Amino acid sequence: MLGNTIGGLLILEAVFMVIPLVTALIYEEKDWEAFGFTAAFTALSGILMRRIPVRSNRMGKREGFILTASVWIFFSLFGMIPFIISSTPVSASSAFFEAMSGFTTTGATSVTIPITELSHGIIIWQALMQWLGGMGIIIFTLAVVPALNNSGGMLMFNAEATGVIHDKIRPRISQTAMTLWGMYLILTLILISLLWIGPMDLFDSICHAFGTISTGGYSNKAQSVAEFGSNYVLGVICIFMFLSGINFALLYKTIFLQNWQRFRNDDVIKAYIGIIVVFSILFAVGQLIRTGYTSFTDIAFYSVFQVVSTLTSTGYLAPGFFMWEPFILALVFVMMFCGGCAGSTSGGAKIDRVIYLKRFIDNELHHCIHPNSVLYVRYNGKIVSPDIVRKTIAFLCIFMILVVSGGTALSFLGLPPVDSFFSSLSCLCNTGFGASITGYGDDFATMPDLAKWIMSFLMLIGRLEIYTVLLLFTPSFWK
Amino acid sequence: MKIVIAGAGEVGTHLAKLLSYEEQDIIVIDEDGDKLDVLDSSYNLMTVKGSPTSFYTLKDAHTGKADLFIAVTPSESTNLVSCSIAKSLGAQTTVARISHYGFMDPANKEAMTRMGVDRLIYPEYLAAREINTALQHSWVRNWFELHEGQIILVGVRIRENAPLAGMQLKEFATTTGHFHVSAIRRNHETIIPRGNDYMLAGDVLYITCTREHIDDLIKLCGKVQQRIKRVMIMGGSKIAIRLLDIVGDRYKFTIIDNNREVCASLPEKCPNAEIIHGDARDPEVLVDANIYDCDAFIALSPSSESNILTTLSAKEFGIKKSVAEVEDIQFIQQAEALGIGSVINKKLLASSTIFQLLLDTDSSTSKCLALTDAEVAELEVKPGAKITRAEVKNLHLDRSMTLAALIRNGQGRLVTGNTTFQTGDKVLIFCLAGSLHKVERLFT
Repeated sequence: MLGNTIGGLLILEAVFMVIPLVTALIYEEKDWEAFGFTAAFTALSGILMRRIPVRSNRMGKREGFILTASVWIFFSLFGMIPFIISSTPVSASSAFFEAMSGFTTTGATSVTIPITELSHGIIIWQALMQWLGGMGIIIFTLAVVPALNNSGGMLMFNAEATGVIHDKIRPRISQTAMTLWGMYLILTLILISLLWIGPMDLFDSICHAFGTISTGGYSNKAQSVAEFGSNYVLGVICIFMFLSGINFALLYKTIFLQNWQRFRNDDVIKAYIGIIVVFSILFAVGQLIRTGYTSFTDIAFYSVFQVVSTLTSTGYLAPGFFMWEPFILALVFVMMFCGGCAGSTSGGAKIDRVIYLKRFIDNELHHCIHPNSVLYVRYNGKIVSPDIVRKTIAFLCIFMILVVSGGTALSFLGLPPVDSFFSSLSCLCNTGFGASITGYGDDFATMPDLAKWIMSFLMLIGRLEIYTVLLLFTPSFWK
Repeated sequence: MKIVIAGAGEVGTHLAKLLSYEEQDIIVIDEDGDKLDVLDSSYNLMTVKGSPTSFYTLKDAHTGKADLFIAVTPSESTNLVSCSIAKSLGAQTTVARISHYGFMDPANKEAMTRMGVDRLIYPEYLAAREINTALQHSWVRNWFELHEGQIILVGVRIRENAPLAGMQLKEFATTTGHFHVSAIRRNHETIIPRGNDYMLAGDVLYITCTREHIDDLIKLCGKVQQRIKRVMIMGGSKIAIRLLDIVGDRYKFTIIDNNREVCASLPEKCPNAEIIHGDARDPEVLVDANIYDCDAFIALSPSSESNILTTLSAKEFGIKKSVAEVEDIQFIQQAEALGIGSVINKKLLASSTIFQLLLDTDSSTSKCLALTDAEVAELEVKPGAKITRAEVKNLHLDRSMTLAALIRNGQGRLVTGNTTFQTGDKVLIFCLAGSLHKVERLFT
């Protein structure tokens, strides 16, 4: 069962590797060999894995978790091969970090080679990995492979999809997956064309669209989005980052079922917009204090861009936001933790959970004074079952424990404390802000190899929302 | 097909699971979120929390676009009202579970249609009918007949003394061409056999034949047709009352129930039966009730365990036919392995009816056979159906189904490899659970 399904998915990955292969051929680059080899090797491994005899077809909750976690690991293991054997080779640790950071839409890079020297093949592969990982590998598979349209596929969907409660849009899991991917694809296509109209060429628009909609934050330019010096580009990207931070199921209902009422009254949307407004003002104030008034764009527009980019875990940097004040850095910490809405492509702990936590704390405080009052956490007017609230609180606690453990492990490897904890949070939230922001080195490349593996692991935990990965390390799971 | 199921009780849950395996679009409605969570997290379907009689809930569940709306909450009036609302919202066909015979009366059919209820499921009535057949054909476990008995499919457990035991299917087919072994259940598994499979003692065989050969089959299986006169029933449940109503005075009934109030209500509803207040699990009560004179014992108490065990102890008193109601599906195969003649399960009966509906057959004429992991269905061949394109042996049928017999121009005949189907044929199909959608594709 395990080998069979993973094998099938690897074949699918091999199909996707044809895209960078073709790109390399178009630009007449030597890297087509690297992609040709990897695609063939991946497809062959997939075919061999499918040959593993199936012992039982039964798929329980446990198999759902194992499968989903291993699919992500296998995808990264095969996805890293092109980086090692390309014309600009990197070490295995860096390559795995690169692949994991791509698929989990973290968007951090540890490649020291200047981006201008990378081949178009490698660049499109980096962008494509983010795009695939954004909505989710499993969800994509469910949408295209009818064989998984059963309860097993459902379990895998639940193990991968982000959020507290997984909304099904339509009765069958493949229909839900198809709708979500349809939305995702439409948004991507719109963004590509909007960027193409602007100052970008087609290749750049594709790379940036993939990086934006997946909230991975990939850019094939050394100066990231600032390179184009165009407020049109920043504006368009800002809007689409905002959209990608919204629950895709809700987006679908709003746009295609014309359910505006539901959108306007949604607690998460209100909080999402509220957070963006408040933090933008704080950012602008911070920026004013630092630089004084320069221009409206510098202060207001770039602040909004930076807030949206941070909150949705995209990680694009607005011009002039390279060295951060302690106050702004603290705000960034908070926003990375919050993340976007559940069911979106963004990372972090998700606003939904933060809302639950806030209401839960309110209730607890109220209880101290009025011990007999009956209080429940309510969300969109409906009571959230105490089980779910409990699970959310546990999630947030584990989240913090992971940030601290990750940070501690990184400082053990010799990183300064602030950078350790910042990198740990940045990886777990899939934001991917480089360590450059805190002043340690230029990027993740200067980190020791072991640190790269730790951070890759944190990214995976963060992307699959903790439980799916951590469960594999609990003794009771294997009993 | 889009199907909305209102009520995540036992029947609703069972239906939702089965239909989701059949690749249908299922939405389940219930007021109890906990019941829905179980379904939602492990099955390929969608759930909507809310009252089945609320316009808003039904709209949320896209009832207007549903091909089939099934109301199976415990409350009859809720079911009828929600069907009525569903119909007004635009549901194609509505089905309500009922618990009074009055709704089924053909005289009231028009009133029901006006109310927006197209079909009815009455599990207790189905169960009573099933028991009635079991009493009439005491030598079989299951009896399924098509077109007024032109074609008969029986499920029968064979023992060492049966001439069939140990025979290879090929050999059986060459000696007598009048039987079609449709399926074999062995060790909790139902298999669709091929020519080189053997029939072993202890197997439950599902054999199809035409009416004139049924007597030969009794001998081949090493069985004797018992005449049943006196029947003892444990538990004065709704099924018991319905059974007595159907059967009339063909048999002499004794009903034992341990609830005095139930006993007090029974004489009015079942005037011809003898009512005894006592616990049927107590052998002395059985002896006092004259179990030695009884030919059949039917256990219909609410507890499956009591039903199975009491039936087993009743068999020691020389009962010729035993029937037990087993509501826990996982116990059914255990009960059958223990040697209980026929097992009744309301859920399976109800879901069988729905399957007939899905296959678009007129469920009022055909009877359905409810098995734990297989379905028997009757389908009519539509013009241009895939199945008419070649002879059976060249159709490359899936191994999860078999075509047993067909009725053409009112005449029943068995299906062989050389049979070619024609439009208008009625075909008897035996298929394993989860493959009904494949069957459907063949026939359209």
